[in-house]
Amino acid sequence: MKSLRILIADDHALVRQGLRSVLEARAGWTVCGEAENGREAVKLGLKLLPDIFLLDVTMPELNGLDAARQISRSAGKAPILILTMHDSEELCGEAVQAGASGCVLKSDSPRQLLAAVEAIAAGGTYFTRTLPSQSGGLRQGAVPPRLSAREREIVQLLAEGHTGKEIASRLGIAFKTVDAHRTNIMRRLNIHAVADLVRYAVRERIIQA
Amino acid sequence: MFAVQSRAPLSAVGPNPDTAMKAIRVLVADDHEVVREGVRALIARQPDMEVCGLASTGRESVELAGKTKPDVVVLDLTMPELDGLEVIRHIRKALPNTEVVVFSAHPPEDLIEEVFDAGAKSYIEKTSASKDLVSAIRSLAEHKPFFTSETSELLFAKFLVPGAKQRPDRKEQKLTVREREIVRLLAQSNSNKDIATTLGISIRTVETHRATLMHKLGVHSVAGVVRYAIRHHIIEP
Repeated sequence: MKSLRILIADDHALVRQGLRSVLEARAGWTVCGEAENGREAVKLGLKLLPDIFLLDVTMPELNGLDAARQISRSAGKAPILILTMHDSEELCGEAVQAGASGCVLKSDSPRQLLAAVEAIAAGGTYFTRTLPSQSGGLRQGAVPPRLSAREREIVQLLAEGHTGKEIASRLGIAFKTVDAHRTNIMRRLNIHAVADLVRYAVRERIIQA
Repeated sequence: MFAVQSRAPLSAVGPNPDTAMKAIRVLVADDHEVVREGVRALIARQPDMEVCGLASTGRESVELAGKTKPDVVVLDLTMPELDGLEVIRHIRKALPNTEVVVFSAHPPEDLIEEVFDAGAKSYIEKTSASKDLVSAIRSLAEHKPFFTSETSELLFAKFLVPGAKQRPDRKEQKLTVREREIVRLLAQSNSNKDIATTLGISIRTVETHRATLMHKLGVHSVAGVVRYAIRHHIIEP
């Protein structure tokens, strides 16, 4: 049996427990690390270098898709499987663009989850829903993110109600830097108030309402 | 295992010998298999508990509870087929000795009173640590309610609605019409001054309403108000 080291990230402790139960039932598969938000997933990933990442989309601090982007850009040859509550072709399409090889729903059966992990561990892809057409052309409303990865991180934290000072300390950067990012973001998006930023974040699926 | 017939004397300090002898029987109800599996595995690790059933819809929960007569039901509110609050009411009515702990992916907000009104004795968010759920189950097995620190804070804040001279009427715990208006205006990025002008009231009054509604919703920032507004379809994202 092939051995597999899996890193899972979900903000619900019992979902992580459930995933662990399901995955470790396979001989040779171990959950080598658990993260409760995207930022932890990225950090742990760099430390543990798992064979596979399993990321929930909706997590505080850094959502699954943005974590996937950061992971696939860094060391990562490790394939990423996205886990979502929402049955959405668009979301799975975005997951692909973020660097994921697969997308499964939380309501899918454990058997499908195992099949998905196996498929992407072997270098393939796995989707339980059809993807939006791969025409490469832009569907209506589908615009690639206009913000950098760092900016998206900051948007998420602002939309979660954190102050500039809190954000600076969480990201380990200077308050001035956060402030500069915030100004740029608001200018680029033509937004003038936190309320509008939150709505933007929800529309762009950076956070869930 | 047979139940101990004698009651614990009133002066006893230790755990009730009845519950100490029998495993707590738990019914797990959630529409996500992954979550059912997680809770099942968690309970399997507790020496004093056992899973007596797994349900994936509201209707199944009620039926299975009737059949297995669990001590505690761990219930997800948002399952298909039957409204979560209805499930709680059904179970509590049919099985008065069966307690219900609500286990939800969503924060309680202004649903919390309805949940307790319906008869549940605990509300655990899925983002909480597993040990909270375990503590809740143990507490409910003794028919005692269990509150996480977040729920306690929320209930306390509602109890102490600012400006109320006495314990406010239940109905007032939900947002008033005025408060909902202000939620909408805030979510539409209006300043306190704009809101005061629009509604023809003083800024001071707006500030008071704002503080009250944020207390009621358990949020600490405008961002929290906006998310609430989107979730409850007061505004579009």
